[in-house]
Amino acid sequence: MRSIWVVLKKEYLTRIKNKTFILMTFLAPVLIALFYGGAIYFATVGAADHSEKTMYFQAPYWDLESDELSFEDYTFVPALSNTKSMIEAIENKKMSGWLQINDKDIRYIDSAELVGGASFSVTEIQKLNNHIKTRAHEFLLMELGISDSTLRQTEVQGSIRALEIDNDGDVANSNTTLKSAVGFAMAMIIYMFIFIYGSMVMRSAMEEKTNRIVEVIVSSVKPFDLMLGKILGVALVGLTQFFAWIALSVGLLGALSYAFSTGSDSITKEAQNIPVNELISGFNTLPFFDIIVVFILFFLGGYLLYSSIFAAIGAAVNQETDVQQFMLPVSLPLVFGFIIAQSVVFQSPNGQLAKVFSMIPLTSPIVMAVRAPFDVPISEIIGSFILLLLTFVFMVWLSAKIYRVGVLMYGKKPSWKDLFRWIKQS
Amino acid sequence: MLKVSHVYKYFDDHCVNNDISLDLKDGEIFGLLGPNGAGKTTLMRMLATVFTPDRGEILIKGETLGSKHVPMIGYMPEERGLYRKMSVVDQLLYFAELKGLARSRAKDNVRKWLHRLDIVHWADRKMEELSKGMAQKIQFISTILHEPKFLILDEPFSGFDPVNADMVKDLIIELKESGTTILFSTHRMDNVEELCDRLAIIHEGRKVLDGSIDEVRREHFKFEYDLSFTEIVTIPEHFHFRKLEAASANTYRITLNKDESFTALLDWAYSTQKLKSFGEYLPTMHEIFVNKVSHK
Repeated sequence: MRSIWVVLKKEYLTRIKNKTFILMTFLAPVLIALFYGGAIYFATVGAADHSEKTMYFQAPYWDLESDELSFEDYTFVPALSNTKSMIEAIENKKMSGWLQINDKDIRYIDSAELVGGASFSVTEIQKLNNHIKTRAHEFLLMELGISDSTLRQTEVQGSIRALEIDNDGDVANSNTTLKSAVGFAMAMIIYMFIFIYGSMVMRSAMEEKTNRIVEVIVSSVKPFDLMLGKILGVALVGLTQFFAWIALSVGLLGALSYAFSTGSDSITKEAQNIPVNELISGFNTLPFFDIIVVFILFFLGGYLLYSSIFAAIGAAVNQETDVQQFMLPVSLPLVFGFIIAQSVVFQSPNGQLAKVFSMIPLTSPIVMAVRAPFDVPISEIIGSFILLLLTFVFMVWLSAKIYRVGVLMYGKKPSWKDLFRWIKQS
Repeated sequence: MLKVSHVYKYFDDHCVNNDISLDLKDGEIFGLLGPNGAGKTTLMRMLATVFTPDRGEILIKGETLGSKHVPMIGYMPEERGLYRKMSVVDQLLYFAELKGLARSRAKDNVRKWLHRLDIVHWADRKMEELSKGMAQKIQFISTILHEPKFLILDEPFSGFDPVNADMVKDLIIELKESGTTILFSTHRMDNVEELCDRLAIIHEGRKVLDGSIDEVRREHFKFEYDLSFTEIVTIPEHFHFRKLEAASANTYRITLNKDESFTALLDWAYSTQKLKSFGEYLPTMHEIFVNKVSHK
């Protein structure tokens, strides 16, 4: 126990005191804030490209005139009789294009062609397409004597809301989309944490090997204690950084969103499209306690299990480039967890497949996190977590064996066969 | 202090240590000799609790060697290194604490040794800023900081510059005087003859000899005598001899056959009336070593 503590303390303190660590802890939230700030800015303000398009319009069988079609920045003028001068105008960039529709029936635009359309973006073409069809549709309705306002009056509003029966027997909003988003976000955080800090454990084991420190270490402390000390020490580093980031991010994003909401009204206009009230009321119905408990359990459990595997890889290889062959099979279960999460969990979060993969320790941290907001039975959570912990202890034991032999094997690149031999050997 | 009896260690099917037995007395310096690949490092790793023997047992102070003996063992492997990003003090404290020393005691010892080797002003520097010689000093301090009763040094003089090698030598003698039992491996015979009370030679996993230096040399006495004369003499044909180049011009090394008597040689030498000195020639450790590991 004592040596676990000594190792843990050293692993934690040397990292916390590291200048890069301190810099990254403070800089990362700023970078993230800048990233999101930039993304929001470009999505709302920057992306609106105010290039006006003026084009010739020619539809001999339509009763719609070109000026009836103009909308927003798109202006239509009647086509000239001289094709050559139209082409010239487009080539000289005086005009943006020439739209011609030769279908006899207004219900079809099969023959519609946009000369000079190469200068249009996919979105612009799409927009144009939709607009022409809408106008033709409106025209047809008019022909039938249905006015625009009549049409609006007949439109059916609203959508089906999924309801669930909560623990008190009350019926409430279930907010499936929100739940999926929350679950997925948690799985993403777990995934990132596993890789960032798991590879830190791996490098720590590798450092001792490449700097030839390891022999003194293994003569002083049991590999099991060393591994556990390393894994827990780095976990604390991760948690420290994680909480620092949350605190800083919340502060920064708060400041940023305040700046945006007062500075530009385009944001608020965009935001109005999202049913904010519905989102907020959805948040309130989330099983927060369950979600947080599951998140903490599987966040830590997943990290512990994977970092013990990473530690063994670090002990086995001699240089960073050899890591790849072991990293791939190790990261596959996590990626697979995401695939399961996407395809199965979203469709039936408490279905058979979802249940199975939230039990298997290598995929459970991801799959269980995604399932967390969907009322997972307590027994399943406990069972899966115990399984995860047991696998973790087993993995540390196994990694310690690989470590004991692997760290003293310099030179040749180890194969999977070597690893199994080492486990048998020690 | 330490008793190794009939220890075997295998790697896959290869026997690296084959029936090794050693007996180290309290406070002695024991030399472990052998060519590269003889199995010295494996044996030392077993003594340092890095490996466990596949067969046989290792007793330390009468108990089977195990992890509880870690605090009383100091081990400096041949492959050595330190944490590059850690400061000298943090590093030394970490190693001492890993070996079970209480933090306050560890701090005292670190201070003492830094003073002793006159490197106090380097205490807060990171290892990567230190010269190689300086790192070697730190390495040695880290091995003995926890006041081990049993010190294992794998090739302690290799990789050290002459000044540091002398420092290590002096410290080894000093530690022996304070009661530490020391086992070290080397392939430098001058160190062996200078430092070791007793030694063992290991070759291809087996122990080929052990004993004190005097005993070993005496055992390998091949009835050779060095005779020097005041002037050139003619040596009778029945004596097997060769002229020694190095010493004075008229020195001969004569080897007696089993049937020849020592007195006959002495009588003849005396009869020349030119005999200046007469002595047994005991082979050097170097000769014994080369002899033992070249044909077996």
